[in-house]
Formats: sequence, structure tokens, C-alpha cells
Amino acid sequence: MAQPATTSPKPVAGTEVEDAIDHLRSSAQELHKAISDAAAKRSGATKADIAALTEKAKTVAQSAKASIKAEHGKVAKQLTDAVSHLEATQANLSQSAKATGTAFDTAVKKVLAEARASVQKISEAVAEKRSAAAGNTK
Amino acid sequence: MRNFVAIVFDDSRKAYEGLHALWQLDDGADITVHGTGVIHRDQLGHIQVDTKDTHPALGTALGVGIGALLGALAGPAGAAVGAAGGAGIGAATGGAVGLMTDLDRADTREEAADETGFVLGAGQSAVIADVSEDWTTPIDRAMQKLGGKIYRRARSDIRDDSWFSPEYPYGYYLYPYEYIPPTYPL
Repeated sequence: MAQPATTSPKPVAGTEVEDAIDHLRSSAQELHKAISDAAAKRSGATKADIAALTEKAKTVAQSAKASIKAEHGKVAKQLTDAVSHLEATQANLSQSAKATGTAFDTAVKKVLAEARASVQKISEAVAEKRSAAAGNTK
Repeated sequence: MRNFVAIVFDDSRKAYEGLHALWQLDDGADITVHGTGVIHRDQLGHIQVDTKDTHPALGTALGVGIGALLGALAGPAGAAVGAAGGAGIGAATGGAVGLMTDLDRADTREEAADETGFVLGAGQSAVIADVSEDWTTPIDRAMQKLGGKIYRRARSDIRDDSWFSPEYPYGYYLYPYEYIPPTYPL
């Protein structure tokens, strides 16, 4: 079914929402970028890479947890989901540090998927906030 | 509204300009971009996807999956707003222009990927994006300015398509940030 495109005038109020969630999203994007860069290394990610990524994932998860307190409704739910994915990212990073061969590949694949899912949830929270700030209903 | 958008350009450089413009719109909070990817169709008709070459297991699924996604976006249920088309800015519904794939014939992902050939010609490139947009004008205006032809479809419709199964996790190859390979400097 074709999407019902809107022809409504451009929402003007609050379109420059820049708050903690935007910063959180940037951090999660950076985390995914760092993980995918490490995974793309021809020589493979080193243990030092994985340790650094695990620490980064932990930091982003803590920021996400802190952000939840200031939110409610859908946004809080999306951030809660993001925290779950970030914690899973950490767990799978730990697994990948211990694994070799096929098990390592599988763990890396899971790390990427979880990191991607965390960005997705935060991004959805950002969209929700922007839409709400613009006075639109979804 | 959550939509998948495909913007077809005549060359890869324009496609990356389009990708950059999309993320600029995100920076300005005009839209929220959840993921983007760029694909090309070579002179032999093969679909190529620009990735960081992250993982062999993912790499094998990319071409078919993203090709199918483009086929789905450009199917009869999708809508196109093209640089040469008659549909007005901000009015993507029903104003379909350009060559469309026949989604009824695209029962499988592979067939849908084949149908993509009608949308993405040899030598052309396309930006695929998963976006939240409250109105369509920002993307339509920016992409038309760059000469892109826009196809748009609600994400919920894409997920309902029976041939689009979880084993082709399109989320994996739509980068959640602006990724431009070093071979395509803007």
C-alpha cells in the first residue's frame, strides 16, 4: 500500500531538539562505528580493541540508563530497550574476547547486531521526541 | 511516519551527495535517519553494495537482500517522485512516475532483486534509507535538487511482505550513521 504522504506545512516548533538523547545517539553511533571498523580489520580485532569497545559500550549503557529517568512513555521504553541491547553488546564482546575461529565470527556478528539494535532504539526515541516537539502525532 | 526511501541517481558521486544531504537533514532535525546504504548496478547488471566488508557471513546476503528491498520500494505500492516526473513536492501518494517493478511477479527475494533492474539501470546508484519523517518535503526537495528520483514506502508495508524474511536482516547493512567509503570522497 502506498504510504500516505502528508502535505501539511512544515512543523516549526522544536525542530532543533538537541538534548541528552541526541548526544546519547551520537555516542551509540560512535560505538557501532568503532565496532564495525574493528570487525572490518583484515588482521582482526585485537584483545585491546575488544577491551576498549567493551568499556565504551558500558559508558554508553550508563548514559542511556541515566537518560531514562528524564523520560517517560514511548521514549523511556525505547531507551530501556536500548540499554538491554547495549548490555547484550557488552556480553557478546566479552564472549568474542574468549572465542576463536567460527565462534569468534559468530560472537562478532552478535555484537554488531546488538550494537545496531541499540542505535536503532535510541534513534527511534530521538524521532519520537522530535515529532512530539514539532507538535505532530504519529 | 516511518518510511523506507530509495533515491536513484545517475552516478555514484551524486548518490553520496544525496546520502550526505540526508544526514544533513537529520542534523537539522527535519527528519530522523535510522539507517542508510548505497548500492550500485554495474554494467553487467550486478548489484553492488558499499560496506565496510565487516563480515563474510553478512556479505553474502547483502546483494540479494538490498536489491529486494529496492524492488519492494519501487513496486506498484510504492510511490516515486522524480526529477523528471510530474508528482509535486510533498505529494508522493499516487503520483507514481517512472518505471515500476511489478511486485506481483516478485514472489521471492531473488525475483524482486531482478525486478530492481527496471528501477536501477546499469551504471546508476541508489541511496536506501530508513527514516522517520513528519512530512515528505525535506527529502523530496533536497533529492530533486540533486537530480534524484525518489521512491518511498511505509516501513510497516515492507515488513508485511511475505518474501522479506528475517534471514535477510536489512538493518545490518543500513549504517546507522553517515558512512562514505574512502573511495568516494565528496
